[in-house]
Amino acid sequence: MALLQIAEPGQSPQPHQRRLAVGIDLGTTNSLVAAVRSGLSEPIADAAGQVILPSAVRYHADRVEVGEAARLAASADPLNTVLSVKRLMGRGLADVKQLGEQLPYRFVEGESHMPFIDTVQGPKSPVEVSAEILKVLRQRAEAALGGELVGAVITVPAYFDDSQRQATKDAARLAGLNVLRLLNEPTAAAVAYGLDQHAEGVVAIYDLGGGTFDISILRLTGGVFEVLATGGDSALGGDDFDHAIAGWMVEQAGLSADLDPGEQRSLLQAACVAKEALTTCAAAQLRHGAWQGQLSREQFEALIEPMLARSLKACRRAVRDAGIELEEVEAVVMVGGSTRVPRVRQAVAEMFAREPLTDIDPDQVVAIGAAIQADALAGNQRGDGEELLLLDVIPLSLGLETMGGLMEKVIPRNTTIPVARAQDFTTYKDGQTAMMIHVLQGERELISDCRSLARFELRGIPPMVAGAAKIRVTFQVDADGLLSVAARELASGVEASIQVKPSYGLTDGEIARMLQDSFQNASDDKVARVLREQQVDAQRLLEAVEAALLADGERLLDVDERLAIDAQVQQLRELMAGNDGLAIEQQTKRLTRVTDAFAARRLDATVKAALAGRSLNEIEE
Amino acid sequence: MGSPCHFALFDLKPSFRLDLEQLAVRYRELARNVHPDRFADASDREQRLALEHSASLNEAYSTLKSAPKRARYLLALSGPELPLEVTVQDPDFLLQQMHWREELEDLQDSADLPGVATFKRRLKIAQDELNERFAVCWDDAQRRAEAERLMRRMQFLDKLSHEVRQLEERLDD
Repeated sequence: MALLQIAEPGQSPQPHQRRLAVGIDLGTTNSLVAAVRSGLSEPIADAAGQVILPSAVRYHADRVEVGEAARLAASADPLNTVLSVKRLMGRGLADVKQLGEQLPYRFVEGESHMPFIDTVQGPKSPVEVSAEILKVLRQRAEAALGGELVGAVITVPAYFDDSQRQATKDAARLAGLNVLRLLNEPTAAAVAYGLDQHAEGVVAIYDLGGGTFDISILRLTGGVFEVLATGGDSALGGDDFDHAIAGWMVEQAGLSADLDPGEQRSLLQAACVAKEALTTCAAAQLRHGAWQGQLSREQFEALIEPMLARSLKACRRAVRDAGIELEEVEAVVMVGGSTRVPRVRQAVAEMFAREPLTDIDPDQVVAIGAAIQADALAGNQRGDGEELLLLDVIPLSLGLETMGGLMEKVIPRNTTIPVARAQDFTTYKDGQTAMMIHVLQGERELISDCRSLARFELRGIPPMVAGAAKIRVTFQVDADGLLSVAARELASGVEASIQVKPSYGLTDGEIARMLQDSFQNASDDKVARVLREQQVDAQRLLEAVEAALLADGERLLDVDERLAIDAQVQQLRELMAGNDGLAIEQQTKRLTRVTDAFAARRLDATVKAALAGRSLNEIEE
Repeated sequence: MGSPCHFALFDLKPSFRLDLEQLAVRYRELARNVHPDRFADASDREQRLALEHSASLNEAYSTLKSAPKRARYLLALSGPELPLEVTVQDPDFLLQQMHWREELEDLQDSADLPGVATFKRRLKIAQDELNERFAVCWDDAQRRAEAERLMRRMQFLDKLSHEVRQLEERLDD
């Protein structure tokens, strides 16, 4: 366990003490981790010098294998080897059956509606499988950077819905990572490019990965990255190119579509090799069993044309949503391995009428951008004026079910986050005392076409005639894009609220069990781990309070207030030296309470300062 | 709900005419100061406050930068609460609405993309015209009824421009 550094009472914490934070691109096909070192954001290689970790997890009876070795075993051991798990994140069994024929696993239903994959180690949820990948990346980073991580920024496709985001956050938690922020992949790529080239103006990020497609339109202004619109398809990617080629092979070779899992895998692997070869060659040779054939680049391009058309349509829609014209886009950035396909680049270039930028490796650009934000969030980039600021949006509208099975939008897509918005509803029957709140995400009018995020009930509404009660439902989306919902009857004050636990997420019970399992497997025991978490929390608070006191203590606190805070700070310091976790936790809470008012005053002062020195009518005509 | 007025957040006096470029500049400045990312290593309380501040700043900005929303907000500030849906006593405008809609349907049937572009330009001109008329009468208590009527017309044209966008999407298939 790393020793925490504790400063002398009254002495400020060292301002330039570097806090280790990383950016992680948790991809469908490949994952990687990057960090800012000596002012440069770079991917971190493993001991063998490899930067890319294939997102493949193989379960053996006694251990778990992650990466290239697991990927190579996929045909030999298809049931215990999980590939492209990202496509299953936050999905229900029914969704998975839609992807159905393509997936060789045996699925079992868990306590929640999440599909579990039956492996030699028992049923594993997609969240657990993803956590295995994250653990390997975390260990790699800690070994390379020489210390424990303060936290990580983990990227997700901009088009991920609430369930998929929540599942990603749960996976990080299982892997023992503190998530500083979930960051949209195209935004991360924009950061990597924008900061690199000091770009200004409107840029489009075209991100075609292994399993997902995203398009984002951003405005870059002096270090501020403002997402104007985003769109895409969370089930469209290079994997689909492979499936198209595999389907073509099945047809050409006259195979029955009913292949066993091992055969399916080897077909897909052959397809993937052919796809990559076609990036540089005019034709690729294919072989499967006794069948041999040749696929020309033109044939391949015809196979992927429908998918390409879908992606371009999403681009046009995003441009319209951004309220701009195509010509206003000043640069197009290519992200994701699938943008290596020449036809993809050509089609994008034609649409935007400009050559897309490919200077930064499309497989690495997302992790590189994420690391830059992680470094900033960890507090390593203070005070150099033009600090990085990312203003992102929600990708899909959020709303509620109303009478008649219709969806009423509360927050439309492409609204800047964080956001809080309230909408009033009423009862439809005389004497109605309860109301079902059904939270939905999507663009369609019928609820059956939208994704169900959660259901909860507001009870205890006083009986009134239909239409007399006023129920205010408040949606709040935080900077990670995660939603919480509260409902309140205004006359009686009856309240109900939930942190949205997605319909297809893990239940609290499942998470608790998994955390316990991971503790048991970890070398350090649970008590030590909990104590360490409490110490980290306490240390974080102490640093925050001390920095705040140093900056604004004299200005915003009177003598008594200052003495009260100092006393609690002192006490927390003393407890930190010992190992009474409970006492540390309680004292942390006490210090939080006593600094509450100070925190509020500081924030107000910050806003006032930002406005200071301006005349009242300056921006009126 | 006790939150400060949207204009005050930007240190502005309530007004319909706004320089949107400068509003954007000030928004980015304020966002930089209150965004939760600035408080990633602060206490939970500060993080929650930052979240709330950012959310109200975003709400204020999205209201002020849209002409129909800004108009509605100004009238709500200076008068009684405005119901979202009312039967509009505005026969001239109702007639014009019907024409606009019929035209849009024809454009859809004939899948006429250049026609849609022309329609959009005309719509924009009509919107600018309404904005001008609203700007000169909204703060005159004598002309409140007229201001409300104009605001509802603005809302209608706003909805119509959404429909045009949906039409463009359908024609894109």
